Amino acid sequence: MPPRRDAEFIVSDGSEPEDDDLDEDYVASRAARARKGKGKGKELAGDSRKAQDQSYAWEASYKRSWDTVQEDEAGSLQAAVQDLVARSKRRRLLGGDAPIRRTIIRHMMLLMDLSTAMLDRDMRPSRFDLTLSYAREFVGEWFDQNPLGQMGVVGMRNGVGERIGEMSGNPQEVLKCFADKTKLEPAGEPSLQNSIEMARASMSHLPTHSSREILILFGSLTTVDPGNIHDTVDACLRDQIRISIVSLSAEMKICRDMCERTGGVFGVALNEGHYKDLLFELVPPPAEKSSASHLAAKAAANESELMQMGFPTRLPSTAPPSLCVCHSRLRSEGYICPRCNSKVCDVPTDCDICGLMIVSSPHLARSYHHLFPAPAYKAIVELDGSEAPTCHGCSQPFPTAARDRNLVPEEGMSPFGRYRCPKCKHDFDAECDMFVHDVLHVCPGCG
Amino acid sequence: MSLPAHLSLILDLSPVPWTALSHSTPPLSLRAFLAQALVFLNAHLALRNENSVSVFGALPGRSVGLYPPPGRGHGHGRRQAGGEEEGSGGGDENTFHVFGQADEGLMSRVEEEVAGLEEVEEDTPPALVGALTKSLCYINRLSNPPPPLNPTNAAPAPPHARIVLFSVSQDASMAYIPFMNCIFSAQKLKVPIDVCKLDDSEVIFLHQASHLTGGAFVHIDQREALLQYLSMCFLSETETRKTLAVPTQDKVDFRAACFCHKEIVDIGYVCSVCLSIFCTPVAQCSTCHTKFSPDTLLRFGGSATNGHSNGTTA
Repeated sequence: MPPRRDAEFIVSDGSEPEDDDLDEDYVASRAARARKGKGKGKELAGDSRKAQDQSYAWEASYKRSWDTVQEDEAGSLQAAVQDLVARSKRRRLLGGDAPIRRTIIRHMMLLMDLSTAMLDRDMRPSRFDLTLSYAREFVGEWFDQNPLGQMGVVGMRNGVGERIGEMSGNPQEVLKCFADKTKLEPAGEPSLQNSIEMARASMSHLPTHSSREILILFGSLTTVDPGNIHDTVDACLRDQIRISIVSLSAEMKICRDMCERTGGVFGVALNEGHYKDLLFELVPPPAEKSSASHLAAKAAANESELMQMGFPTRLPSTAPPSLCVCHSRLRSEGYICPRCNSKVCDVPTDCDICGLMIVSSPHLARSYHHLFPAPAYKAIVELDGSEAPTCHGCSQPFPTAARDRNLVPEEGMSPFGRYRCPKCKHDFDAECDMFVHDVLHVCPGCG
Repeated sequence: MSLPAHLSLILDLSPVPWTALSHSTPPLSLRAFLAQALVFLNAHLALRNENSVSVFGALPGRSVGLYPPPGRGHGHGRRQAGGEEEGSGGGDENTFHVFGQADEGLMSRVEEEVAGLEEVEEDTPPALVGALTKSLCYINRLSNPPPPLNPTNAAPAPPHARIVLFSVSQDASMAYIPFMNCIFSAQKLKVPIDVCKLDDSEVIFLHQASHLTGGAFVHIDQREALLQYLSMCFLSETETRKTLAVPTQDKVDFRAACFCHKEIVDIGYVCSVCLSIFCTPVAQCSTCHTKFSPDTLLRFGGSATNGHSNGTTA
């Protein structure tokens, strides 16, 4: 069987004959090794390669990553590196813009591994410290994007689940959980089952229109469970709890199964940056489960509901001080519940007296951009001479000539740095395109 | 050592309210206003050598960048301007060239744009959101400068930016969601939005804008003293403001209007899918056509007509 030569395998043609030979040697030896390893029969090896089941990094084909970087005329790599950075940024933007129904009101339990495995120093400064600092950032960003959400924190150590923070809609209170590092000192073995059961119990009372999510930051490769963890997963499935796991060490079968069955996301962090990427991918509200799922049919009947919400009156700082119902503290600032006239410190929250959900209109408005996103811009590949000379957003002039790089149009990169709004037909540069879709959510031309 | 400051002005240039203002008592014509605004701009530029300005105009139905002229470098306008200013600056040797450049450039652009207005456009509301988004894009550009091609040159620190918005018309006609998105983006960029209200109309959204971004809100009572207001309330930069008492609006209305009758509600009913607000329990969301379960409607008081009919059919 001849060794397979695919397009990305050998990038340069003829210019470096020695390299090509080396590559062929490499392919041949690899193929031979594969045959030897499989041992059972040649057709098996052939099948597996045809299927190209590349779920693991070491099974992926060999890529000469250094060949994609090219020096410019001055021999500098700077421009090439900038280009790569811009591409990776755009890749994140290129999500589909098909209308999906998102869960706006989210409830999440953050399960943190506090076992001795978290003391490993394979991530700097240590898995534990890194997790704490990322968790803080995550909480801030999460509440920024999901102002009506609530989050609780559970720790896993010494074989039990430990409640660190109650479910709360106030980011400050959640951040307080991570404030005291000495209280979170890792010890013992983690127990997935115990902590998931604990998280499940604290979410079982929630209304059906809100999402229930568990996010596990898992560093260990073991779990000590008192019973059958598959029963717990079944119970989560019944309660429509979505489990997502970011593993810091390696993939575990039970973790992947858990995420796949409940509709969550599983990821193994390769390094510090990848860890953060995996974590922050969970910030935007998830799409609601498709109706094809066997549970959705049952749930569809009462999935969406009308919620009663109160819009409070804000007391200015010059108001006479009075006691709040949440902390019994004497303060002048606060919000008055429209139903029972009690005073709460901060919104959004549930009124401590009458249980009414109290929000202010900006909190609702903050979620609207998930529902009414800005239209995705199209990369301009060809100029017809009638384009505006400057970016419609920041008035920065566009480059007039295309950059002489082998740009791939499928990637959504414009060689002229122009991106056009499909609605108002104005051109924007890459920086504004990113800003409009990541932060602003309004097209400057349409607005 | 504090950072340089960037000031972004947003001018509401709708012709109808400006005509009304110039005939009111005390009168304030657009020309007189621009003269005072220019003194304010010059004062900001004079505070520090690295300070920069940008001006955006909201015209009926569209928004324009008025200053710096398009295609000029960002924030470094004055450094590059050295050679060009003789041509564009009007040639008055007694004027600091940056002042001259800003004054001439801005006045001519405003005149150009206002002269270009057509009669038919006058009823459409000013594109404040467009001007605001452009201003934010510009500020975002300033705070994320492209990495220098020569890595030995350290990039200059991004300036503290703030936005001053001059409003002459009421904001009820403004698109709510895009405007709120602008406010949240400004919050994220840590850009305070100061609002200077020149007429007496109601501006709930602008109250929220200045409150949420930590900016000042000033309603000008005595229009002949506009410059005094500008220099007292809006000239201080973000760092200095921590030690100053900046005038704000205490009565900020955070209540929402229902989608069905546009009435302000205390207790509303919100669709869990699209967050539409209704003043009474309804059987079906009018925005996303989601049907709500009859149980919920009964729970919220079956007396509501919608809830009742639904309750009987179910």
